[in-house]
Amino acid sequence: MSTTWGQRLLLVAALILAALYLFPLYWMYVTSLKAGSEMYATPPAFLPASPQWQNYIDAWNVRGMGGFMWNSVVIALGTMSLTAVLGTGCAYVLARYRNVWVDVGLFLILMLQVLPGSLMITPLFVGFSQFGLLSFPRFAVVLAVTAKAMPFYVVLVRATFMSVPSELEEAALVDGNSRVGAFLNIVLPLARNGILVSAILIFMQAFGEFVYAKSIITDKALQPATVGLNSFLGPNTNDWNKIMAYATIYVTPILAAFVLLQRRIVSGLTSGALK
Amino acid sequence: MTPETQIELSGVNKHYGSFHALKNIDLTIEKGSFVALVGPSGCGKSTLLRSLAGLESISSGTLKIAGQVVNRVPPRKRDVAMVFQTYALYPHMNVEANLTYSLRLKGVKKDKVREAAREVAATTGLGALLTRFPRELSGGQRQRVAMGRAIIRNPKAFLFDEPLSNLDAALRVHMRKEIRALHDRLGATSVYVTHDQIEAMTMADFVVVLRDGVIEQQGKPLDLYDFPANRFVAGFIGSPAMNFVPATVGGDGRSLVVDIVGGQRIGLSRSLEPGRKVIAGLRPEHLALSASDAALRVPVGIVESTGFTTYISTATDPELTVVETGRSSVKARDVIGLSIDAGKVHVFDSLTDARL
Repeated sequence: MSTTWGQRLLLVAALILAALYLFPLYWMYVTSLKAGSEMYATPPAFLPASPQWQNYIDAWNVRGMGGFMWNSVVIALGTMSLTAVLGTGCAYVLARYRNVWVDVGLFLILMLQVLPGSLMITPLFVGFSQFGLLSFPRFAVVLAVTAKAMPFYVVLVRATFMSVPSELEEAALVDGNSRVGAFLNIVLPLARNGILVSAILIFMQAFGEFVYAKSIITDKALQPATVGLNSFLGPNTNDWNKIMAYATIYVTPILAAFVLLQRRIVSGLTSGALK
Repeated sequence: MTPETQIELSGVNKHYGSFHALKNIDLTIEKGSFVALVGPSGCGKSTLLRSLAGLESISSGTLKIAGQVVNRVPPRKRDVAMVFQTYALYPHMNVEANLTYSLRLKGVKKDKVREAAREVAATTGLGALLTRFPRELSGGQRQRVAMGRAIIRNPKAFLFDEPLSNLDAALRVHMRKEIRALHDRLGATSVYVTHDQIEAMTMADFVVVLRDGVIEQQGKPLDLYDFPANRFVAGFIGSPAMNFVPATVGGDGRSLVVDIVGGQRIGLSRSLEPGRKVIAGLRPEHLALSASDAALRVPVGIVESTGFTTYISTATDPELTVVETGRSSVKARDVIGLSIDAGKVHVFDSLTDARL
């Protein structure tokens, strides 16, 4: 009896917390469909009287969203590719070799993960400017975000590689393959799921990146959607419905992807971790 | 005609950091023979096999396969096939792809690969399963795929790393015979690692007993059984294990006073130095129940019967195990007489454990 009551109580608490957390998301969708006057109505309308789909068209055209979105996609794709190419090899080595140096390496990698982006941006900015990388601001952001996302990716993918038994590789070696061949032919296909999931998570992280892009990219034409969104906010902002429409266009694809891939992401994150 | 040597190890050592895994291994494996490497876990038998495959590099010594030194040759160029304990089937390939992986790597033509796959599938009874994936197979079937993958290559040697230890008891006995039959049919050279001395005894032409990285003895299975070089081999080969009893050589030099229930005597078929401290080795199957006066009188502890054989453990220190075929009327707490043929008593030095 007591356990069921306890469970119900916890469930209610969880629902309240979820509602608190998800309410802004709901409010974003609702507001994005409201007319200008409806936004300020008291009491607020929880469903728009007549959905203003025009808001979306306005947000896209007036705010120049096409360019911002394109920049976000470029940065996210660039980060994902660079992380996947460099991080996969690193994760594999860390998964297969076990010694003191590997442990030290792993520790350093986890340390990197701890450092906040806003702390790192000043030295990064100075460094990039020394190397002239600020002339290629989107590439500079890709580099910075890759450096920040790498530990997360390496730790996840390493766990995936560790779940692939080394006997399979050895069997491939004895069967006549080289080390590289065994990696490409046997290990990589078996680790595919974990790598894909980790790469998608990196994509999402890079897609939502703000601190580095805001600091490094000054040219408005090269800024991603996050920085664009930020630039619309000011003391005199009053077209919240358009801004919410902008935000909706921006996050809905990511949300949709996450919901669709949710099961795979969760299983990809835990596979290997349990073994 | 002297048999051709297929694998030759001389002075092979393997170190892992400060751990000395293989110590001065000298071993010659003849072409077409079935050699078992046997020993308790951690004895180095798997390391030795992996060194043959090239998955481990040896620290010193020479390793030859078919007359060629392969110390630094990578696994893919050694032309040996290995069957792993876990089978190591490629989970993302179906049975046919698993079988033919090595051929496809070699760039063999497609129709030839198909033909070879069909042939091997027929020999191993996998004909109907070619399109299945490893996860859809039973343990025995996976085992066959692992075997087939080795057979299809027609390699210089087959290396088996405890291939039967994941199967249930009945299937294990069956696969034992099947592997041996396959070996004979292919005329292959096989090296078989196991911790199960019965597998080694029943399957192999030649058994190598390892302990702590050292070859304790090598020879034909029955020679190891009849003339174990030391107490370790004597205790390892044979089931149930040999009984060891501290003893002293009698004044006549042709009997042993065994240190059990007040110093009784057993006869010896040869003479040893009187008064010498030794260890007597008595195989359970050589101890016979006897009513004669010369027999050892011992109390019975536990009696276990499997129907065909009866295992009698004595209530003595050290405990003796006796195997009787058939039913036995002996009960716990009885006192029985045990006799042993003087020619079947093994004697080991009490300090060095070496056979005397």
